[in-house]
Amino acid sequence: MSHLLQVKNLFTTFNTEDGLVPAVNGISFNLNHGESLGIVGESGCGKSVACLSIMRLIGHPGKVTADEMLLDGTTLFSLSEKKMRHIRGNDMAFIFQEPMTSLNPVFTIGFQLQEAIRLHQGFSKDSAEDKSVEMLKMVGIPRAEKVFAEFPHSLSGGMRQRAMIAMALSCEPKILFADEPTTALDVTIQAQILEIMTDLRQRINTSIIFISHDLGVISEMVDRVIVMYCGTIVEDTDIRTLINEPKHPYTIGLINSKPRINIEMDKLEPIPGSVPNPLHMPSGCPYHPRCKDVMDICRQEIPKKLEYRSGHDVSCWLYSEQGGKMSRDKTYR
Amino acid sequence: MTKPIVEMENVKKYFPIRGGVFSRVVGNIKAVDDVSFSINKGETLGLVGESGCGKSTLGRTILRLLEPSGGQVFFKGNNIFETEKHEFQKLRRELQIIFQDPYSSLNPRLNVGEIIGESLEIHKISSGKEKQKRVEYMLEVCGLAPHHHRRYPHEFSGGQRQRVGIARALTLNPDFVVADEPISSLDVSIQAQIVNLMEDLQEKFGLTYLFISHDLSMVRHISDNVAVMYLGKIVEICGKSELYDNPLHPYTQALLSAVPVMDPDAKSQRIILKGDVPSPANPPEGCNFNPRCRYAEKRCRLEEPELREIDSGHLVSCHLVEKG
Repeated sequence: MSHLLQVKNLFTTFNTEDGLVPAVNGISFNLNHGESLGIVGESGCGKSVACLSIMRLIGHPGKVTADEMLLDGTTLFSLSEKKMRHIRGNDMAFIFQEPMTSLNPVFTIGFQLQEAIRLHQGFSKDSAEDKSVEMLKMVGIPRAEKVFAEFPHSLSGGMRQRAMIAMALSCEPKILFADEPTTALDVTIQAQILEIMTDLRQRINTSIIFISHDLGVISEMVDRVIVMYCGTIVEDTDIRTLINEPKHPYTIGLINSKPRINIEMDKLEPIPGSVPNPLHMPSGCPYHPRCKDVMDICRQEIPKKLEYRSGHDVSCWLYSEQGGKMSRDKTYR
Repeated sequence: MTKPIVEMENVKKYFPIRGGVFSRVVGNIKAVDDVSFSINKGETLGLVGESGCGKSTLGRTILRLLEPSGGQVFFKGNNIFETEKHEFQKLRRELQIIFQDPYSSLNPRLNVGEIIGESLEIHKISSGKEKQKRVEYMLEVCGLAPHHHRRYPHEFSGGQRQRVGIARALTLNPDFVVADEPISSLDVSIQAQIVNLMEDLQEKFGLTYLFISHDLSMVRHISDNVAVMYLGKIVEICGKSELYDNPLHPYTQALLSAVPVMDPDAKSQRIILKGDVPSPANPPEGCNFNPRCRYAEKRCRLEEPELREIDSGHLVSCHLVEKG
């Protein structure tokens, strides 16, 4: 079966006054039909930029290159801007992090919802209105007919995010990018939004790319996870394996530095240091200055993607012949 | 038993709503309404709640950074709210605060040495070489290098800035520190560093913390006791294990169940709360929580529940929780 989305060697660089900033540094991944994929990483690791690059929403001074970027077999790069606009919102939709700033304050919720429906699906004004109200009801907005005529400022954060979700799903996209959709919200509201998203995903059968820095949210929402660090993918596996048997030292560090709500721990184990400045990337593996299992080779060469097990890729020298960790695990091929 | 270092009695902070022709006071936003609790020396009280529930206002009111509307706060027996202003400055030495946003809480025009040393001069404790020594010591204690005192805030990362914020709060050797969401603007891997630093410093200097946060997992990790706030009131307060293992207030139960667990196999028994937090300008009749509560009865809509002791050291404000 062919993949819904295929990305191979995606690079996004920003040409700034201080020099070239490689925000995304050669990432490759596939997304299957109906799959939900999580992207985890700290701020600045390139997770949002990667998704915006796929949507071709990176403007000047950014530059996107890739060996391959296929949506259902169509190369996204070769499309004209006009065709791309047809795909955006229709085949691929985006939910932004901040519901406060991503809605236009001078238009009503209804107008903004209708816009996409009429543009992409050719609905008449009346039927678009019906469809918008129906979408608002679907995401659990009470008094949907009234909210339709209201402006964004009169809605709370949770309600705005629901309106965003309604907008993104109104054309039943093949892929939904959700960029930290709940980070700006309180936990009880976050629980409401996550429930709506899980419920809608089952109804519409959309593939989701879910970006978050919170492994708790990720482990509830997705089947497979990509862990990103400094613009590269360091680990790629299913969620169960990632939480129970993380392999990359960064993933292990991320999991250990987070306290659990159901277990009491004596001491947290933070990752020492901080994320390097993208203008002065360390040589070799970008994680080596913070890694506790660092070896000589890590300082010299960037590790390649290794298949630790089928369906579990790690980019770390520890699991290569030099690191010797591969031999201990019998299931390694 | 250890003596409480901070005791609060019926602390209130109302913000007036003005309107009409002569900007008369037409109502009050009860940001903090009748809050009483105490913190023992060397302990950490975690204060949790959703945004807008009044946690930060409470933290600032305790330190009199905001003038209170009522109530009393005793610090080592002194009534903070009734101390004269010039007298109060002496007390300020022992009461410090760490702010949420390390990007906006450090003056960008001062270098780190000036930021940390400023309070030593204001309180006329030391100046010149002596001050310099103290600044360098504090930087070292907080995990920065002594030579960093010449740098400016923009030269540091978020985690390092928060370390500067902590060093500034601790230069005067305070006894009580309010930490107002000290980690919420930091990355996950940095949060643990800061929390570990705060724990080490607590042990070293015998500090007492009021740790304000909405991160329930982190509060469980750092606190001894936890208070849950909703719409300006404390709804539940008790020891942390008791609170997390046996929450009694329906709001606490819902709040705890809403936290995503890092375990894909966990069976979620989530209590989804309906609706949003009501506006504090127009709180509901009776129990504040009744419009969102799944157990609400007639009594909850009419009478306001009191915070009462259900078990030893476990206080809950709910009509429906039975004693024992």
